[in-house]
Amino acid sequence: MATPVIMPRQGQSVESCIITKWQKKPGDHVAVGDVLFTYETDKATFDEKAKVEGELLGIFFEEGDDVECLLNVCVIGSKGESYEEFDPKNAASAEKTDESEKTEQAQPVAAVQQVVTAASATDRLKISPRARNLVSDTGADLRFVTPTGPNGRVIERDVRKLIAEGKTVSSAAANEYSASAKGIVGTGIGGMITTSDLSSAVEEIKPAVAASAAASLDFGECEEVKLPNIRKVIARQMHASLSEMAQLTLNTSFDATEILAYRAKVKEGREKLGLANITLNDIVLFAASRVLLSHKDLNANFFDDKIVYYKHVNLGVAVDTPRGLMVPTIFGADTMSLSELSEKSKKLQEEAKSGTVNPDLLKGGTFTVTNLGSLGIESFTPVINPPQTGILGVDNITTRVKTVNGEIKPYQAMGLSLTFDHRALDGAPAARFLSDLVSALESFSLLLAK
Amino acid sequence: MPKSQFISPDEIRKSGVLSFQDIPLNQYNKTIKEEKENFSDKDFMRIYRDMAYIREFETMLYLIKTTSEYNGVAYNNPGPAHLSMGQEASAVGQAYLLGIDDFIFGSHRSHGEILAKGLSAIEKIEDNQLYDIMKNFLGGKILKIVEKDQKSTKDLAVDFLIYGALAEIFARDTGFHKGLGGSMHCFFLPFGIYPNNAIVGGSATIAAGAALFKKVNKKNGICISNIGDGAMGRGPVWEAMNFAAMDQYTQLWEDAYKGGLPVIFNFFNNSYGMGGQTYGETMAYGILARVGAGVTPSQMYSERVDGYNPLAVIDAMRRKIDIIKENKGPVLLDTVTYRIAGHSPSDSSSYRTQEEIQAWEEQDVLKSYSAKLMEANVGTEEDFATIREEVKNRITKICAMAVDESISPRMDLFKTPDAIEKLMFSNEKIEKMEDRPVEVNMPMSDNPRVQAIAKKERWGFDAEGKLVSKNKVFQLRDGLFEAIIDKFYKDPTLITYGEDVRDWGGAYAVYRGLTEALPYHRLFNAPISESAIIGTAVGYAMAGGRAIVELMYCDFIGCAGDEIFNQLAKWQAMSAGLLKMPVVVRVSVGSKYGAQHSQDWTSLCAAIPGLKCVFPVTPYDAKGLMNAALAGTDPVIFFESQRVYDVGEQFHEGGVPEGYYEVEIGEPDIKKQGSDITILTVGSTLYTALKAAKELEEKYNISAEVIDARTIVPFNYDKVIESVKKTGKILLASDAVDRGSVLKTMAANISELAFDYLDAPPVVIGSRNWITPAFELEKHFFPQPDWIIDAIHERIMPIQGYVPVRNFTDGERLRREKLGV
Repeated sequence: MATPVIMPRQGQSVESCIITKWQKKPGDHVAVGDVLFTYETDKATFDEKAKVEGELLGIFFEEGDDVECLLNVCVIGSKGESYEEFDPKNAASAEKTDESEKTEQAQPVAAVQQVVTAASATDRLKISPRARNLVSDTGADLRFVTPTGPNGRVIERDVRKLIAEGKTVSSAAANEYSASAKGIVGTGIGGMITTSDLSSAVEEIKPAVAASAAASLDFGECEEVKLPNIRKVIARQMHASLSEMAQLTLNTSFDATEILAYRAKVKEGREKLGLANITLNDIVLFAASRVLLSHKDLNANFFDDKIVYYKHVNLGVAVDTPRGLMVPTIFGADTMSLSELSEKSKKLQEEAKSGTVNPDLLKGGTFTVTNLGSLGIESFTPVINPPQTGILGVDNITTRVKTVNGEIKPYQAMGLSLTFDHRALDGAPAARFLSDLVSALESFSLLLAK
Repeated sequence: MPKSQFISPDEIRKSGVLSFQDIPLNQYNKTIKEEKENFSDKDFMRIYRDMAYIREFETMLYLIKTTSEYNGVAYNNPGPAHLSMGQEASAVGQAYLLGIDDFIFGSHRSHGEILAKGLSAIEKIEDNQLYDIMKNFLGGKILKIVEKDQKSTKDLAVDFLIYGALAEIFARDTGFHKGLGGSMHCFFLPFGIYPNNAIVGGSATIAAGAALFKKVNKKNGICISNIGDGAMGRGPVWEAMNFAAMDQYTQLWEDAYKGGLPVIFNFFNNSYGMGGQTYGETMAYGILARVGAGVTPSQMYSERVDGYNPLAVIDAMRRKIDIIKENKGPVLLDTVTYRIAGHSPSDSSSYRTQEEIQAWEEQDVLKSYSAKLMEANVGTEEDFATIREEVKNRITKICAMAVDESISPRMDLFKTPDAIEKLMFSNEKIEKMEDRPVEVNMPMSDNPRVQAIAKKERWGFDAEGKLVSKNKVFQLRDGLFEAIIDKFYKDPTLITYGEDVRDWGGAYAVYRGLTEALPYHRLFNAPISESAIIGTAVGYAMAGGRAIVELMYCDFIGCAGDEIFNQLAKWQAMSAGLLKMPVVVRVSVGSKYGAQHSQDWTSLCAAIPGLKCVFPVTPYDAKGLMNAALAGTDPVIFFESQRVYDVGEQFHEGGVPEGYYEVEIGEPDIKKQGSDITILTVGSTLYTALKAAKELEEKYNISAEVIDARTIVPFNYDKVIESVKKTGKILLASDAVDRGSVLKTMAANISELAFDYLDAPPVVIGSRNWITPAFELEKHFFPQPDWIIDAIHERIMPIQGYVPVRNFTDGERLRREKLGV
């Protein structure tokens, strides 16, 4: 008898799992305990093993498919048996009806709780016309409102509560708002104000408000400058980066004795050997390009429904230019010698500063290094350049002490600030990367030997 | 079910045979010479002339439809034209003897009948009376148009007739009823020409109703239902014939009113119902005249008449009018004829052969009649040619006038946008339709029901505030009774009939006591013929009377769909206000009786323009609204609920007044004041809403204002909008099924009218879009108090601590709508 295999539900909150790999293909013989397919939740990876013996008659989902829990995934049976009747796509409509009827019976209470709480999830403020009018009459401050209407709608009582709690904007501001609103000329039937009136009014109100603000407050001398495009792009990207990602920063420092010594050595012998003028930053770039190879989560691009891991490291280098921040990319950094890397980095920085950099080199990065250490910054929060998953901030060098054999010894310490996207990886792997990087830098000669 | 009649098993079970009399077929065989004792030469020639008018009139329309030109007059007429070339002799023959007290009712193919009846009337009416009719009609508007050149009054009247009819057909403001009826609904009451009807067979019940009016109000004249052979396939026609012939007229009605209704069911039998051949294809009667034998023992004095010979038709009419004058109606006439042209100009006559058409053309009514007259030396070839010439000239002249915008403008709906709007209802108040003494059996104070009611408690609560027991309290049904009996003692034309209204007193005892008060002709049991019940009431009102008719259950509206939706609702406006329709249709909304006896169809009726719809659910409102309905001149669908016939008055302080008062139709009433949410109800859901309001107040500290719509059409939103402005929230509820509920219309209107005041969208609670299940399951079907609170909680304002039972979420709405349930 054909036996369907369902997608197991690994925990109550799991609604679906992704099939990552089929270990058997249709037609294969399957023994009890054989792994049929591998699948993962947002938290873990599992193997689904066969519980019956037979032939894998058919599969209903492909690798990469996101499968709702408890749906049939494949069917095991004897050769030649029919299995299409188990295909969830055939059963979908019938089952759905059953489900919804059950819903009507059993879940009204839950449904309503959803109604009440669903509100906060959406960005758009839902507010009844009556509540909105009350806001404009009273100046209730909607930033503090807790919607209690159906579907998260702000209703009259919510605004009344704000008023009762004294959560209103100042009367001057309220007057200003209503004064500007009163200036709107309705062009609809019977002088009704339409949305087009509002949008044209907004255009007029903006300078008017600015002018009145300027008139009433003395800002002293100021200069109004239109934003250049690059500023607009930076603004948009940085805001998108911060608002859309789950960024957090880990800070650490390492003993820079070895790299300082190494750099001093290079300085001495560079002309003789024809080496580039290798900076501390170059050394960090080099170390990062090597360590990243064994931390693929950070050498990656994250998209909503997938993540792309790269074999090589395309290192973005943040450059402060007169036009603003630019991040040219060193493609294949992991394949370059330290000297090559240093030269490339220098060249790109110069091109970026002079504005001659090839635009193609301003994208395609898999990881970025930014350095504020030269400006004396001890620790900061770099902002990820999406869709990358991490950015390493290089801090300045400070003198620290440590105990060596019971003696307190001063040493030169350099700070590192790693911001990573928690959507793509968790804290521990990020910390492991940082830890590996610290080891590599503290024993830089060993890294070079690799 | 009168006790005076004994249903004897011996009689019913007796063996025997039923025999029929012979039905005459085309028995007329007189020569012109023999007929000279009945007709002068002038009469013979006038018959020819009248037929020529019809032939030319129809030919003119045919040419205009098919070539956009007639005799040099260019015109495009997009409206309908169902022409009757070939049927002229039957129309003229029928009209020849009729006076203006005799009413004809037509079909979609009745231009010929209108002209024939009009020409006959013009011939009979004195010149000064004729002139007055024209002068007084629509303020002399048509007269002024045709009066230009000097001519005799009769000449003028012929112009008047042809112009009024043609302008009506061409939808001109100068038509007989401002172009609002058109070709298929044309009429002119002063000549006894009652409306045509675009519904096949529609005139049968209406003509019977007008005949009922003549009998009940002792008016002269007869009524004729002119319908086609195709109409014999329609149930309402059979209902009408039976209604006109009920046994009670001869067996139970008082002496002065004895006898069947004075009506002729005349079938202009041209063998086709559009393209369906009745004889040989779609009907079973073989010969239409046979049907009379199936309706009454008198066989309806049925016979087949040769409609191709005007003299044969006149002969038949002479005999049939006599029968009706002997109170032996109704009569059935099978007037055989033939339509030469198609059903309409778009008809290619694919269902008949050219040979067939030619065979009839060879016996053409005008040619064969003039040939006979020439043979009998009544007229010469030149005489007939002269007549045809005169006719053609006149039709050409009038046609040119009727298509001329400057002479015959259309209604200007830009200048007077309310021109049609103000004709939808007559909105008059007329205490009695005729001023004469009423016929009643006793002084009202002697009536046992009136005496019983006098002992009842007119306010629903006792001194301690407890509800007075059902037996002692003045109930809603008593309120209806008081209003109805009051009007019976004021308006002599008022009659009531329906199923089981006499003796039984109506299924819900509203009429208990009326049997004692009223003679048969004012209160009688109708057959189980909903179409005839409503259709006759329409005819009764058209003829000048006032009627209350009852359909025992609201669901039976379905059996009278045409009569309610197409006839009752439409005639006031289609007649441009010339007809009034003071008819109250009582319908009882059931419960406990399942899917075909428990439906609230207020929405269905409200969707049809031209009907007023009221639904009182308190004794005070029931009496006041019934008084208002009976005082008015508009058709009112009067909804009653079987759930509340026995309630006492709980709202109107002081109880139900003993005297006369009216509750204005269209005004909702606030039954309970409140401040947090408005609940608007239609029908007995008021009481459901009040229970919900009580719980909201006692358990959740929410104060609900409950408004009873009382009326659905018309509806004054003022009070409701005012309430919504106060509360910001509104829920509307009734027992009508949710989909298509008129409450959805109201909710949409409220959304528009009070948008800025609303704290949530208006929410409508109706019954499920199911069949009404058994009584025991009704709480899953009809709105319940907890549904109202659930809906408020889920859709308007979540209530702290409330646990809903029903699902009113968006998802559930979408799911149900997707499934259509």
